[in-house]
Amino acid sequence: MSVARVSSAGVAVRRLTRPLALSTLALALVVVLAAGIGSVRIGPADVTAATVRGIEGSVRAALGLAPSVSVDAGQRVIDTIVWQIRLPRVVLAALVGAALALAGAGFQGVFRNPLADPYLLGAASGAGFAAALVMVAGGTLGVLGAFSVSAAAFVGATLTVLAVVALARRGWTLPVVPLVLAGVVIGSCLAAGTSFVLLAAREQAAGILTWLLGSLAFASWDRVGSLLPLVLVAAAGMLAAARALDVLQLGELAAAHLGVSVEALKLGVVLAGTLATAAAVSVAGVIGFVGLVVPHAVRLAFGPDHRRLVPLAAVWGAGFMVLADLVARTVIAPAELPVGVVTALVGAPFFLVLLRRRSAA
Amino acid sequence: MRSTQTPDRLLHPRVARTAMLVALVSTLTWLGVAFAAWPVTVVDDLGREVRLEAAPQRVVSLVPSHTETVCALGACERLVGRDTFSNFPLVVLDLPELGSAFAPDLEALVALRPDLVLVDEYSGAADALAPLGIPVYAGTPQRLEEVFEVIDRLALLLGTPDEAALLRGRLRGELDGVAALVAGRERPTVFYEVDPSPYSVGPDGFIGTLIALAGGANIVPAELGDFPLVDPEFVVASDPQVIVLADAPYGVSAAMVADRPGWAGIAAVVDGRVVELTQDQSDVVSRAGPRIGEALQLLARILHPEVF
Repeated sequence: MSVARVSSAGVAVRRLTRPLALSTLALALVVVLAAGIGSVRIGPADVTAATVRGIEGSVRAALGLAPSVSVDAGQRVIDTIVWQIRLPRVVLAALVGAALALAGAGFQGVFRNPLADPYLLGAASGAGFAAALVMVAGGTLGVLGAFSVSAAAFVGATLTVLAVVALARRGWTLPVVPLVLAGVVIGSCLAAGTSFVLLAAREQAAGILTWLLGSLAFASWDRVGSLLPLVLVAAAGMLAAARALDVLQLGELAAAHLGVSVEALKLGVVLAGTLATAAAVSVAGVIGFVGLVVPHAVRLAFGPDHRRLVPLAAVWGAGFMVLADLVARTVIAPAELPVGVVTALVGAPFFLVLLRRRSAA
Repeated sequence: MRSTQTPDRLLHPRVARTAMLVALVSTLTWLGVAFAAWPVTVVDDLGREVRLEAAPQRVVSLVPSHTETVCALGACERLVGRDTFSNFPLVVLDLPELGSAFAPDLEALVALRPDLVLVDEYSGAADALAPLGIPVYAGTPQRLEEVFEVIDRLALLLGTPDEAALLRGRLRGELDGVAALVAGRERPTVFYEVDPSPYSVGPDGFIGTLIALAGGANIVPAELGDFPLVDPEFVVASDPQVIVLADAPYGVSAAMVADRPGWAGIAAVVDGRVVELTQDQSDVVSRAGPRIGEALQLLARILHPEVF
């Protein structure tokens, strides 16, 4: 513990606050940009007015007050587009991006493997299989209604990772190699199950495929509300583990000698990462690349210190996702690109440039 | 508006009075018709109740067969938006395109201020639009008989029961007419190829039923389901007398089928009865809408050219 405290707390805080403040500012700009652009042209003044009215309406509803004076039909359409379609989508994109980047940063740290991504332990395959089954069964599960597929995906992802952990554990320890292998094998198995479901249920195949490719369409404030607490809990867990993750980079044995309870750390990070991943997948399907590349990009730009990496990855993941979704929904409007296609197409060259610069410096 | 000047004696008073009387009576009749039925409630394929307070005037269809049905019910001019694949009747091509049913452009859709949206039950659009207060009907016909059910449901929503009765009668007549023509004839065995995987159609599905009515014997057994992926060996062993290529618009040709290993000896290939559908024909046969009569006739011509 003493080794990690050599740098004074003040320096550490200062080294985090400035990049974090700047990054958050950049994220805010991206969010404003994304809120202003869509397939329907709406001026900045109208977007702002609709947002203000939307917030006012929500506050009034929360306080149990009657809605304020009604606006005319044209304005109501703009309000609906901005407040009920576009903004929840932008905010949901930010949350999903943050969750995936957090999980990626955590998994890369805990497995000490640069290829680790949020789906390494089978969360995506588990979510996909469960979602496909529910869609074939008719899309609704009793009281869950419209949230059935999301709920199934969340449970599927979580159960899959828990099964992987249970299979890989040796007593009370969690060796990394069996864990990753179990994740890959169970993931392949469930992916095969999903393929089978796709073949067997042609009628629903288009819907299932759209879901599997990942999409932020059909976002709503309800979804944002269901995602936010999960992402906050996962982020808190990951932040709490950040300093121990730094020590872990010296190796498990060294970290243990330095007072880190390695097994608890591994389990904690796996659980926090899984919570974030399952939450993201449940509302947006399987969106690749963000969880893999954003932590690397942040590491290249701001250094490998996890106390900075974890929060910055969340902020940049959010910003990257909002931008990628903006491209996805506008570039070939009225059609939409799968957002996973954009994250890979835009993210890969960007990452390569960063990599080249770094190795040249 | 009040300042608009009325020219003197544009109409003879008696003519004007008669015209006013006619207008009054027809307005009252219209009101009677319009308000007698409303509000209407229809249960869709997701089991949700679609309730309309008045006849919808701004309809968006994200399903090509529904687009055709709405038009066949005489409500084409009430459509204000469509999905990318809706291309019939041709007038709908002028409507704004909103993407596919599974990833529609919600912003553009809402901007059209629709008062009824028709979507596929497996698209998430229904869940997304319902909270916005936009009435959504989610459901598509999968069986031939469901085409008639959907016509009734859409007619109820649109307030066009008379048109529905006429349309149903016409379609029944078309189906029965073709079925009578091919009745009692020997049934050629058919392999219907949806795509080169090869996916085919089962006998109980919409297309399978049409094949049976057209006097064909589908080689695919019912237990494989409505859209089975079949083993090429199975096709060779079944030796169909006719092969229908619904995937011809996507580049599959009779020559390619003949080149598939082992397919050269299939009766259909030997006899030159591998039929390439055009895009239009493929649309007609695959859409469970008001063109089922046309679809059936097309298939009957392929299976029983001697009758036509």
